[in-house]
Parts: sequence; structure tokens; C-alpha cells
Amino acid sequence: MPRFLIIAALLLLPAACYSGPDPNQSAGGGGPAALTGAPAQSFDVSRTDGRTDSLARYRGKVVLMNLWATWCPPCQEEMPALERFARENAGKVTVIGVDQGEAAAVAADFAKQHGVTFPILVDEKQQYGRAYAAVGLPTTVIVGRDGHVVRGIDGPLTLAQMHDAVATALAQK
Amino acid sequence: MSGRIAALAIALATIALVLAQDLLPRTALYHTWQYALALAIALAVVLVYANAARRGEDGPGGKRLAIAMLGAAVVGIAGLASGLLGPDTAEIVGAPGTVTPVPALGAAAFFGSVEADTLAAGSGGIALRRRNGPEIALGTGSRTVLGESLVYLEQRPAAYIDAYDAHGAHLTITQPTNPSFLSPVLLFRDTQRIGAISVPLDTFATPAQHRMLRALYFTPQQLAQFSHGAVTDGRAGLVITADDDAGHPLGITLAPSGRDVTIGGIRVHATLGTYPALAIAAAPPTWALVLGIALFLFGVVWSSIGKPGAAPVVSGPAPSAS
Repeated sequence: MPRFLIIAALLLLPAACYSGPDPNQSAGGGGPAALTGAPAQSFDVSRTDGRTDSLARYRGKVVLMNLWATWCPPCQEEMPALERFARENAGKVTVIGVDQGEAAAVAADFAKQHGVTFPILVDEKQQYGRAYAAVGLPTTVIVGRDGHVVRGIDGPLTLAQMHDAVATALAQK
Repeated sequence: MSGRIAALAIALATIALVLAQDLLPRTALYHTWQYALALAIALAVVLVYANAARRGEDGPGGKRLAIAMLGAAVVGIAGLASGLLGPDTAEIVGAPGTVTPVPALGAAAFFGSVEADTLAAGSGGIALRRRNGPEIALGTGSRTVLGESLVYLEQRPAAYIDAYDAHGAHLTITQPTNPSFLSPVLLFRDTQRIGAISVPLDTFATPAQHRMLRALYFTPQQLAQFSHGAVTDGRAGLVITADDDAGHPLGITLAPSGRDVTIGGIRVHATLGTYPALAIAAAPPTWALVLGIALFLFGVVWSSIGKPGAAPVVSGPAPSAS
């Protein structure tokens, strides 16, 4: 019988080791940078010209996707550099803008006023913003020819930073 | 006999305590030291009886019952081990369309995209993707055991928000205080206490109009208790307050699910429903439960039917060998 007392003691001992859990633990986020290497998600949405478009249609090209909105001051400041980058790199890098949550007419007016020539997708349901874990606007996502995210960047970029951002993707076959 | 019945009762209690981990995994009881202590004591009693019975101290029937006790011990040890070695209970809340790593499972959780109608129907799902493993799609009511973890979905209140300016143009919804900054789906991670009730709370903004809005989620039952004749047709609803950028209050309104309301110069359309969170709880391995319960049942049945031609099962000291 004493050996069973020892067994009982051994069984009781771990009880003291129980640690209380945190039942409300939650996780999430990580920002766009955390998506590097992941397959790029794509959603069909309308463009400001009324055509349906999606990121997936540019598979096989290096894409610089810029998530923005007209009310966002840093987006407004970044737009001229983005337009210049799109013109200078035509044929090498495809630039697309994805307006987040606004009406097509609002995005189209803004694009016209700022002389934007690259395609503007109108993501009224903010699907791209959610999928690319945007923690603010603007958010830039570089997608490689293989359809995977090469870089995700939060905040506005200068022209030089845009060139730097796509360098890795351009170097990939 | 009374000792045998007591041992059987304790063995059953051991099995019930461990099965409860699988059947009611969110109960906080299993993660208390009291639960572990109770399980350990029960386990000790079961083992002590099993050893005594094995040596014939409770007659031939008791000897056969030792197998049942062994089964209960297997279940009890599995339950104790899952509590000690398994992951802590966790609820992972993710915005629709996002991916969250779940290190405890060695997997990534893909929170399914959701539209207003699917959110209202509560039919959102989550997929778990593991390296070198098949994808596991979790829907409402589904449960799966991964390693030492029981994985299932917990439905939480959620609201899909659309907002429009005075001209009817759709507005960007942001959630500046949440990880899902650009999601129009409110997941109500916080709560607000109002008297004796705790109400889900979330905030969102329409930056184009410089509005910050706070939303309290009320169930149809809670709204039915509102005075002043709030008409919601049995729907859930939000009580929404709006402030401008400077924090000046711009009003308060009740927004029943699926109806437009205007507050602070913007038109808000909230569709209320549920969206799942990924719940993870420690779970005893299924094989151990099946083996233990099978042994227990076999032992109980064997001891009760007795051996043909043998003396009836009685309690008391073991008969001496002749």
C-alpha cells in the first residue's frame, strides 16, 4: 500500500504545476511586411473606367500595388512620385492603385485632378486592404512574376524608395 | 461491495471529468488547480483499488473489475497530461480575409472573407493550413483534434458596416484602434458594462468625413427591454455615438440590423450577425479515451456477468487457494 501512496503523491504533485491560462488571448495583425513570400490574394473589382480588374490579371509581371484613398494626405503626397515611377518603368513594372472603400466617381475625380494614368481599381469592400493587412494608408505591395508577395510596405514612399522596393522582384526570374 | 461501488463511482467520475474537457472545452474549470487535484485524487483511488482488486482482495468479481479500473486510469492520466502538456485555452480573433499564424498548432489560420449576407447568416469559416499537411476547413459546429489540441469555432458578435456621405457616395471604413485597420467588419473585441450587463463594444471611423463612431451591440432580447418603444422587429441592433475629430459629440442613435440611420452627417448601414473566432483548448488524445472507456466497459460487463460455473461474484476477502 505505501507504494500507492507514493504513486498518489506523484499524481498530486503535478496538480500544483497547473498554470492558469489567458482565455482572452488573441492574435493577429503583423502588417503587410509579414506577408512576404505568401501567395498574393486577388479580388475582382471595378476600375474607375468601369471595367472589371484584379491583381491576378497581371500574373507574370512585376506589380507595384498601391492601396490608397482620396482623404489620406500621405497618399496625396505620394501620388506624383507614383505616377512618375509608373511612366519611367512602363514595360518593366506594372503599377496599379487600389482605392479603399470609396465610390468610383470620387476616385476617378481624384485621379483626373492629379493626372494619374495607371489603372485605379475601386475596392469598395476594402478586400485588398484586409487581405494585405494594411495598418494604414498608403500601403505598397510588390508582387513578383510568380504571383507571390515580395515586399509589403506601410507608409508613403519616395521615388528612390519605389525603385529600391521593386529591385528584388525585378531580379527574380 | 460498498468499497467496489465507491471505486466504480470514482472511476466513472474520473471519466466524466476528462470527457467534459472534450464536450465543454471552454469551461474555465479544467484549468484550475482544484480540477487537477480532484482528478489526481480520483486517479489515486482508482489505482489503489485496482491494485488491491488485482491481488484478489475484492474477490473474483473485483479482480475482473481491475480491468475497468485500468481503463479509468488510462482516461484519467490522459486528462491530467493534456492539462499539463497541452496548450492553454486560447481564442484567436481575426478579421475576415486575414491570415494569422497559430504556433500552438504549427499552422496558419485563414479567416474566410465575408460579405454582409454571410455575416448575417453566421456562415463564415476558418481554414487551417499546415506545412506538409492537408488543409482543414472549420465551419460552424465542426471540431477537430490536432495533436494535443481541440480546435473549434466560437461564434462572436460581428457587424458589417457600410457608410455613405450626404451625396450617397460610399465611404472608407477604418478601425484605428484595431489590428484590422481597413476592415468594414467590426468584431467587438471590447466590452462595455452597463449596469449588470456587459455589452460588446467597438469603434470605427470614416476619415473622409472626420467622424469617429462607437458602437455597442445589443441582442434582440436586450433591445426588447428598451423603453421609449425602440422598434427593431426582433433584430439585433447597434447603439452608435459619433464624434468629430476634435472629440465633440455629434449624436447618438439606435441602428437596427439592416436599416439605414443617419448620424453626424453620414448614413450608416449596419448588418449584424456573427463571425467565428478560432478556439483552441487542451484535449486528451482520442485514442486514449477510446481505449480507456473500452477497457472500462469491458471490465464492468465481465465482472457483472461472472464466469460460467464459477462461484457468484461476491465482495469480501479473496478465497484462499486450496
